[in-house]
Amino acid sequence: MTRGALQYLQVPLSSFTASLTPSATVSKHCPKCKRAWRRPFSSTRSCDMTKLRAEMFNWLNSRGKNFLDPVQGKTNYLTDYDKRGFRRNKEPDAAGEQADSTEREKGTRDLPRRPFPLNEWFISQPILSEELREEIWRRVQIDKKSIRNVSVELGVEMRRVGAVVRLQELEKQWRAENKPLALPYAEAIHSMVPSTPLKNPPVPHETVNDLPVHSMTLPQLFYPTSESRQFNRVDAGRIFSGAPRLPDEADVTQGGQSVEPWKDTSIEIVGKPGHERPVLKAADARIPHPHLIAHEKDKLDPELDALERHERYHARLREEMEQRAGKKEARRKQIEKHTTRVDTGRYEFLIKDCQTTRLGTGLDGRGTASPGRRYGVPSQDRKRGAIKIPTKVEV
Amino acid sequence: MVVKIRLSRFGKKRQPFYNIVVSQARTARDSKPMEVLGTYDPTPRVPTATDAPEVIDEVTGLPRKPKRYKDIQLDQSRTKYWLGVGAQPSEPVERILCLIGLMEPRPGVTKKAIPPPPLSAVSVAKVHTKS
Repeated sequence: MTRGALQYLQVPLSSFTASLTPSATVSKHCPKCKRAWRRPFSSTRSCDMTKLRAEMFNWLNSRGKNFLDPVQGKTNYLTDYDKRGFRRNKEPDAAGEQADSTEREKGTRDLPRRPFPLNEWFISQPILSEELREEIWRRVQIDKKSIRNVSVELGVEMRRVGAVVRLQELEKQWRAENKPLALPYAEAIHSMVPSTPLKNPPVPHETVNDLPVHSMTLPQLFYPTSESRQFNRVDAGRIFSGAPRLPDEADVTQGGQSVEPWKDTSIEIVGKPGHERPVLKAADARIPHPHLIAHEKDKLDPELDALERHERYHARLREEMEQRAGKKEARRKQIEKHTTRVDTGRYEFLIKDCQTTRLGTGLDGRGTASPGRRYGVPSQDRKRGAIKIPTKVEV
Repeated sequence: MVVKIRLSRFGKKRQPFYNIVVSQARTARDSKPMEVLGTYDPTPRVPTATDAPEVIDEVTGLPRKPKRYKDIQLDQSRTKYWLGVGAQPSEPVERILCLIGLMEPRPGVTKKAIPPPPLSAVSVAKVHTKS
């Protein structure tokens, strides 16, 4: 019951108590109809107030007051209070207790992971607090830090950092356009589930360097290998993708030179024409932040002090960022080179020069490398199991 | 029989998408063509933030809406070849070819006002048709 409704209901309550204890100030006439509406010296119960209604107002004035100003940050169920209106000392269940203790260690807000005690299946993971979201947006958009860097600094996964920046941008745009925002809803959610606060030093929100399970690694393979030669992660990746062994000069275990995982951005393709596939890289190169490995190795080096380590770490990040930016720019230039833009006033026409050859369509005409919809190929948009929702975001 | 360069409709209801094709004039619109030259997406698309960086309007203070674009992919060398051997473009295709500058606009056919072709070398089609 809202506060407004309760106040509304309290109006007849006061008049009811006044009828029990008559006084000279009590009006004997109804203000609307101007008729006498109660007999103050009668012992008969007033006709306009039933017993149930009277009990309701009694409840509202005693135990019900707890719900007028609920305790923030905790559940406020009817059963939380005893008959006298005092809060019961609830025995925390094992899961809730455990969650609370882990959250205290992590520094998250002291809220249970199970906001609905009767629904044991609903266990909420901590969400980002408003301040943390704003800080992520500030570091990316104003300080112009890379998403990779912000992810490591604040302990938030890179995809989440990207999503937060996009959503914050959208929110700011909506605020500028005076669009209505569901702020009470957001506030309610934040009061129910635990959230990661913005602190200094930052509290990590999640593990940022998890290795995603690649579908190529799912099948069980039995691969005979010689004992005289080390079998490492690079070899495992090559075997899963059916690629031949590395030449000795590129194999570290054979004394060859290898590329540092954080530098390893080249793609090697194997397979016959029409069945090409990329070679699966070693786990070190596939994790989201491979340069953290190099950073940890630096920590083991006694000759490097903290400042040097810090500088080396950021130099690596810079180098990688420049490399990526260069590649992106080259790709953009390549596309621009084959694109003619014609502005007709209302729209802009983007005319891309392309190649429609048998190389793209294949001999059966069903290949997808050339532009154009294919003939005689059924549309898969209603097929079971096909993913119909977008799997990536174009920004 | 006349060989035409024309549009062949794909896509769903209210979501048109065209292949630009070379086919015999008397065959059905969506039948298998002699060759696919490219595609034309007539739905105006909003460019992504990466392609069109945000510009703030000085008057309103709000970000200006980027100009929407229509996407055309075309194999220009094959188009030149087919024009050179006498393929007749349909009117919509002719408008597209005029946009690129592969053909010169003819009064009465290309109804919309079209800016002059940006490329200089495109009277290739004319040269081919004359020879």
